[in-house]
Amino acid sequence: MVKKYFTKTYEWLDERLDLTSLSHFIEKKYVPVHAHSIWYYFGGVSLFFFLIQVLTGILLLFYYKGSADLAFESIQFIMSKVEFGWLIRSIHAWAANLFILSVFIHMFSVFFEKSYRKPRELTWVTGVFLFFMTLAFGFSGYLLPWNKLAFFATKVGTDIAGNIPIVGNIMKGFLRGGDDVTGATLSRFFGFHVALFPGIFTILLVIHLIMVQRQGMSEPMETEGTPETEKKSMPFFPNFMLRDLLLWLIVLNVLAILAVFFPADLGEKADPFSSAPAGIKPEWYFLFMFQTLKYIPAKIFIMDGELLGILLFGFAGLLWVLVPFWDTQSSKGLRNRKINYIGLFAVGFIIVLTILGWVS
Amino acid sequence: MKKMLLLTIPIFFFYFNPTSVFAADDQCYTCHSALEDKESKLFAGDIHFKKGISCSGCHGGDKSSEDNEVAMSKAKGFIGVPKGDKITEVCAKCHASEKMMKSFGSKLPINQYDNLINSAHGKSSTVSGTRIVQCTTCHTAHGIKSVKDPLSPVYATNIPKTCSKCHGDAAYMRNYNPSLAIDQYTKYLTSVHGMLNSKGDPKPAQCASCHGSHDIKPVKDIKSKVYPVNLPYTCSNCHSNKEYMAQYKIPTDQFEKYARSVHGKALLEKNDPGAPACNSCHGNHGAAPPGVESISQVCGTCHALNAELFSGSPHKAAFEKKGYPECETCHSNHEIVTATNKLLGVGKDAVCIRCHEDKSSNGYKSASMMRSLIDSLDNTKQSAIVLINEAEQKGMDVTEAKFKLRDINQVKLETRTQVHSFDPKKFKDIVDKGLVISADASADANHAIHEYYFRRVGLCVSFFLISLLVFGLYLYLRKIEKK
Repeated sequence: MVKKYFTKTYEWLDERLDLTSLSHFIEKKYVPVHAHSIWYYFGGVSLFFFLIQVLTGILLLFYYKGSADLAFESIQFIMSKVEFGWLIRSIHAWAANLFILSVFIHMFSVFFEKSYRKPRELTWVTGVFLFFMTLAFGFSGYLLPWNKLAFFATKVGTDIAGNIPIVGNIMKGFLRGGDDVTGATLSRFFGFHVALFPGIFTILLVIHLIMVQRQGMSEPMETEGTPETEKKSMPFFPNFMLRDLLLWLIVLNVLAILAVFFPADLGEKADPFSSAPAGIKPEWYFLFMFQTLKYIPAKIFIMDGELLGILLFGFAGLLWVLVPFWDTQSSKGLRNRKINYIGLFAVGFIIVLTILGWVS
Repeated sequence: MKKMLLLTIPIFFFYFNPTSVFAADDQCYTCHSALEDKESKLFAGDIHFKKGISCSGCHGGDKSSEDNEVAMSKAKGFIGVPKGDKITEVCAKCHASEKMMKSFGSKLPINQYDNLINSAHGKSSTVSGTRIVQCTTCHTAHGIKSVKDPLSPVYATNIPKTCSKCHGDAAYMRNYNPSLAIDQYTKYLTSVHGMLNSKGDPKPAQCASCHGSHDIKPVKDIKSKVYPVNLPYTCSNCHSNKEYMAQYKIPTDQFEKYARSVHGKALLEKNDPGAPACNSCHGNHGAAPPGVESISQVCGTCHALNAELFSGSPHKAAFEKKGYPECETCHSNHEIVTATNKLLGVGKDAVCIRCHEDKSSNGYKSASMMRSLIDSLDNTKQSAIVLINEAEQKGMDVTEAKFKLRDINQVKLETRTQVHSFDPKKFKDIVDKGLVISADASADANHAIHEYYFRRVGLCVSFFLISLLVFGLYLYLRKIEKK
């Protein structure tokens, strides 16, 4: 009886949506199996974190109030009065951090595998933009509890943005909604975080995923020459999908443990008239840039040190986006060790500077 | 020839004048005294004249010249009568110079000028455009005496009158500080200090003793000697000096006691200018020890509710009958310590037992009951604190429970006030309110502790279920991948 209704519904939908061709596509989709297959899972884990952020974010929106007078109190209310509010907020906070970490890992695994090579250049470009968007999510979301640390970290962050040549001041004013970090800044960060960024992110993510599906999983360069009959693979459905699901469940368990044992704290309410807390630092994912700017001398020849640092990071970011276009060797199937060295330098630089920033 | 004749007349007179010993070669004085003008008459008694300083010391000119026009010529530096700020600058030429002062064998400080220009009196007057006060305003011009000379306007017994010339003149003061009272001198005369001073005793405090002389600052200036935080030290300069106060036969431990008191700690340690200083109870210009009758009025200025409740209590009449000073009987005077529960009841340190010794008396029973009520409030509050701390240590949010703790403190404060009504029923009503809040705070803390364990149990359950699902999936994957 149930089967009959299910078949009828399927047929009804199939007539309209051509589900058969989609199921054929899924049936024929295979995932390469090799020594580096594990890195494939980080894309899925990142996606899972994004979904968690969307779900918990919507739940938080039911109670959060994006104004300087009420933001802190509304989160206090979520943490203490709303049933499981503490759990939702703690998961949102932890998943945000793990999301960024997972995106970092996913991006660097793609880089080292040179999976950006032809024909996946645009998949890489959209991926790097997605990475920038996760950082923007982190930066905008950090201010929303309107606590002391977030307030001053945003002040420092937007000050740095203000140093960008030509557009810096306009950008700072746009981000802050005035000369200083105020309730206006909170309102627009809230808008960015829950409307603008999710919109852009979703569009980029859909393009990114469509391209991944259209092009299939990239194979390592070493196995490219292997005859098709000798290549190992597994069906995307159900094998790879179930493995993804298995990992997602493990991640969910980790998130629950973190949320219960280390619930997100709230700190003190922001007071624009109080002095900045000593040794204020940004979140860990910005720490390497912050620490680098601290090490650069105030003046290098006639140039402002901080400005030089910003320009260097800007240039490095541009080069990062354009990797597939300047690493022409990999696209030709030739080994390019320089890329590995650059990647190792970037990873080492980020880790060392983050640690230095953390302990300083 | 005529000119020569005119000059010889004064020279002749002053040759035989004993004061001319100092002015033998001072032609200014020689001529002016011959003219018998007021200034030269006064100058004969001036301390500067006695030190051998000529008129030209202040007015410039050539004192050695017998020629009137030469002696008082601009070429010789004659400035005439100094006006406005020039007056003080002329005095400062010597009084701000260590070298000059030493040359006259003076040990006077040389910072008077700096002090004056930085003082309240050194401000520019909006009326004249010059400083409000010049040296001559207090010291006069030609008859300046040593400050130790009873004839000096700045001698201790003359100072109040000197100051009141301006400070008692409403029309004059309106030009500079209309909000300042002008009855200080009148009040001062009613004070113990003023009465002794007007009898010719130079030791009791007069205006300069408290406000300073050249360095007078507005009362609201933190550097002022009478700024609330500085006032007890100013009073103690005399009142803690046993030797100085010996002849007046009053204690000299007031400052010591006050510094230990709740008021003293608030003012001197926490720098709270709102806390009472000596003048808050004793008055300032009309300083006098409050009498038995006025003590509750003095304390009631700040502790209004306590005073009101006391006035309506049965103690009011009883204290009056026995001649007990109201607040002081239980709280003492200078050494008022923070009131604790110990003061209340019939225990060793309690004050009630001093009068209510009879165990069968209502007073004894009420005191005992009120003490046990306040103790029970403290105990429940303590239990709430323990629970709140436990919940907080477990990482739970107890902000609201902590707010309730504040409410309990507020209730405790109310009980402290209500105790002055000595009405056990009213007292109990307030304590009951506190007990309800305490129970509420404890319930909140208990709920937080319960929530802490609930979260862990919930985690265990979810962890188990998810792990079960993971394991099931793993087995299923193994099964399908074997195929």
